[in-house]
Amino acid sequence: MLRRLATGLVVLWAAATAAYLALLAAPGDTVDAIIGDGADTPLIRAQIIQEWHLDRPAVVQYLDFLWRALHGDLGRSYLLQRPVAEVIGGQLAPTLTLASSAGVLGVVLALVLAITTRRPWARRVSSTLELVLVSTPPFLIGIILLSVFSFRLGLFPVSGGQGFASLVLPAVTLALPVAGVLTQVLRDGVDRALDEPFVVTARARGLGERAVLVRHALRHALLPAVTLIGWLFGILLGGAVIIETVFGRPGLGQVTLNAVTSEDMPVVLAVVVFSAFVYVVLNTLADLAYLIIDPRLRRS
Amino acid sequence: MRHRLWLAAAASLTLLAGCSSSGGTATDAGAPVSGGSLTWAVETEPITLNPHQYAQAKARLLVWNSFEALLTHDDKGGYVPWLATGYEVSPDGKTYTVKLRTDVTFSDGTRFDAAAVKANVDQLLADGYAPAVAAVQLKSLKSVEVVDPATIRYHLKQPDVLLLDFLSSPQGAIVSPKSLKEAKNLKAGGPELAGTGPFILDRYTPGQELHYVKNPAYNWAPANAGHAGPAYLDDVTYRFLKESSVRVGALTSGQVQVIEGVPATDQAQITANPSLTLSKGLNSGSAYSYYFNTSHAPFDDIRVRQAFRDALDVDTVLQGVYRGTATRAWSVISPASPLYDASLEKTYGNDAAKANAALDAAGWSTRDAEGYRTKGGKRLTARLIQSAPFVRDRRDVLAQAVQAAVKQSAGIDLKVSVVDQGTATKAIADNEYEIFDNSRADTDAGAALNLLLRSDGAINRTGVKDAELDALLAKGEAGADRTKTYQEIQQKVIAKDALIQPLYAPADQIAASKAVGGLGFEPTAGVPGSAYNVWLSK
Repeated sequence: MLRRLATGLVVLWAAATAAYLALLAAPGDTVDAIIGDGADTPLIRAQIIQEWHLDRPAVVQYLDFLWRALHGDLGRSYLLQRPVAEVIGGQLAPTLTLASSAGVLGVVLALVLAITTRRPWARRVSSTLELVLVSTPPFLIGIILLSVFSFRLGLFPVSGGQGFASLVLPAVTLALPVAGVLTQVLRDGVDRALDEPFVVTARARGLGERAVLVRHALRHALLPAVTLIGWLFGILLGGAVIIETVFGRPGLGQVTLNAVTSEDMPVVLAVVVFSAFVYVVLNTLADLAYLIIDPRLRRS
Repeated sequence: MRHRLWLAAAASLTLLAGCSSSGGTATDAGAPVSGGSLTWAVETEPITLNPHQYAQAKARLLVWNSFEALLTHDDKGGYVPWLATGYEVSPDGKTYTVKLRTDVTFSDGTRFDAAAVKANVDQLLADGYAPAVAAVQLKSLKSVEVVDPATIRYHLKQPDVLLLDFLSSPQGAIVSPKSLKEAKNLKAGGPELAGTGPFILDRYTPGQELHYVKNPAYNWAPANAGHAGPAYLDDVTYRFLKESSVRVGALTSGQVQVIEGVPATDQAQITANPSLTLSKGLNSGSAYSYYFNTSHAPFDDIRVRQAFRDALDVDTVLQGVYRGTATRAWSVISPASPLYDASLEKTYGNDAAKANAALDAAGWSTRDAEGYRTKGGKRLTARLIQSAPFVRDRRDVLAQAVQAAVKQSAGIDLKVSVVDQGTATKAIADNEYEIFDNSRADTDAGAALNLLLRSDGAINRTGVKDAELDALLAKGEAGADRTKTYQEIQQKVIAKDALIQPLYAPADQIAASKAVGGLGFEPTAGVPGSAYNVWLSK
């Protein structure tokens, strides 16, 4: 456990440092980013440098950032002029709500589809649909869902972070591609498991086809699907950027997008560190899930 | 040159202006009624809610809901008292004495007086607070003096009529001195900053919306605001919807009553709907233009600059990209500005034969395998660098259309790249560009020209250093006979020196349900006005 914690910390540090170096290597400096397309005179530049202590060498700024981050101080946003903790903190809940409901919806959809579409014709329809969903940009899915269910039928509001009704369309938009990929992986896993000798044994013991499918084959198929959890997180966070823009929802996605395009270093760093943190946690959970799914791993 | 403007005279003059600018959709929505909640979808979430830090023209319609300035613009290039009752300029143009209203309170209960105004100026000049305001708008300010609670005096280092533009700008809006002292995130602004406006910002949900409630005590609207007393609406919500198709969909399905920002591609959807209205306002300031970099080849040669303009049929290009919704610009100054010189119209451009003859004469007479003109083995290339975060109105698509046009008609190689802000800044700093594109939404076009054309201008990208031009700009700033001075400036940079290729006048659009009345555009600025005069018919 302690080793896991230490590895986690190293990952966080590496992510923060890599992001810092990438921003440092990007063309233009922080002063340029703050000035944007506004007026640019030596006097204005001097004041910005003074305000943000940008006259110190990059190494000192980096160490100062690490030191303050260790004490829980993530600094202030160059662009928004507010503490980063406040900028990100306020946007965390809407994004987590969206991502987790989309994640859960995607996984449930995938499980249901993988088990129910066993007949050849259902399979063909389902996998075509999955392929279409996976290859359609979430932006387009969002706009189509909005046009039909919000603009035409008036069932759901277009925007707003409050309430269940405003969560439905964005969560579905984000869940559909996830479900598409997971269903394909699960179905493939179930197919392979059904060819294994243990299935013959289970059937010989008199188990019904449904029980064989759910209790044995699906369990086998889950392992590769759980491995995808890191990918799933990436999809959900990346998708959130687009979904939040289309639906006018508050959230981390919009904050990240704005911070990256305006090189708002403190916010970018905080988002990167936070993402790395979630990633570490999720992968740890995935490792634990393996133990639950596969009893063989518990013994070794 | 001693001009006085006291309340009575100003009021009678500007009531006329008020009538013409607040027409909007009044006929459909009937007579104004009080009460109701309005939801307005806007394109841009402001970076900051502190008016002193204002930098986005798209955020201007929000500022005036909760904050007010000493003066405001009328639609003829003059000023109307707002928190002031009038002003007086000394004969040497270096002292501005402003009389203030005595019946105004901030929404936090603080009284508005000369000391409050001075506290705001002191704050603007504080180190690191608003460097761009201190360096540009207040560059001529020497000191501010509180004469008595109802009188404040600005002493200038040199005559500068742009002080009046500052006094009516968002950056010149007056924030409660109590907020200036106590706000936790002063530069970010928000509900903790109190102003004097007809609405009070009571909720900000980042990424989602701003919510304003009516200030029932409000009774100091300027004479051209459309009505007096408190606002009509009880509360108004501004929702941030970045996608134009989503804004339009939200409006057609009745989820919002007003939207701002309707691109050409979506306008047909509004005009085809009998329950909706669409109105457009041209922004003042500078037109969207290409600035030729004269510091190196090929645009150091005036013949090449003229040839570029002659090679381009602006009308056709605009028609292709904006489907007839764009207003062509002929000068660096927007046609909406009172300083615009209309005599430049139809005096140049769209003459491919002339362009080719001029390029032949300038030595760009050979062509390479791809059909581009060359001189001494070098291709006639012009690089246009666009910074992705600031591309709007499909200016990247417009650039591609221009690219195709100048290639076809004169063999000019326009290289367009859309890059991140850092790369764009670096290209400018390294002088690795031939064309710079820009439009500015300054209410006084003179302020824009000072930045763009003066030898030491903060956004001088033409590289032009012309003493005659500097002298004209200084004269325009000093205030005597501005119309004539700016006409001379436009004649010089457009007709004589061909420094600029004007393209179109930036505009704003409002689309709304016909149940909404009183919508309009802010005089002079040309951007959507605040919600003060807006009502919702029952």
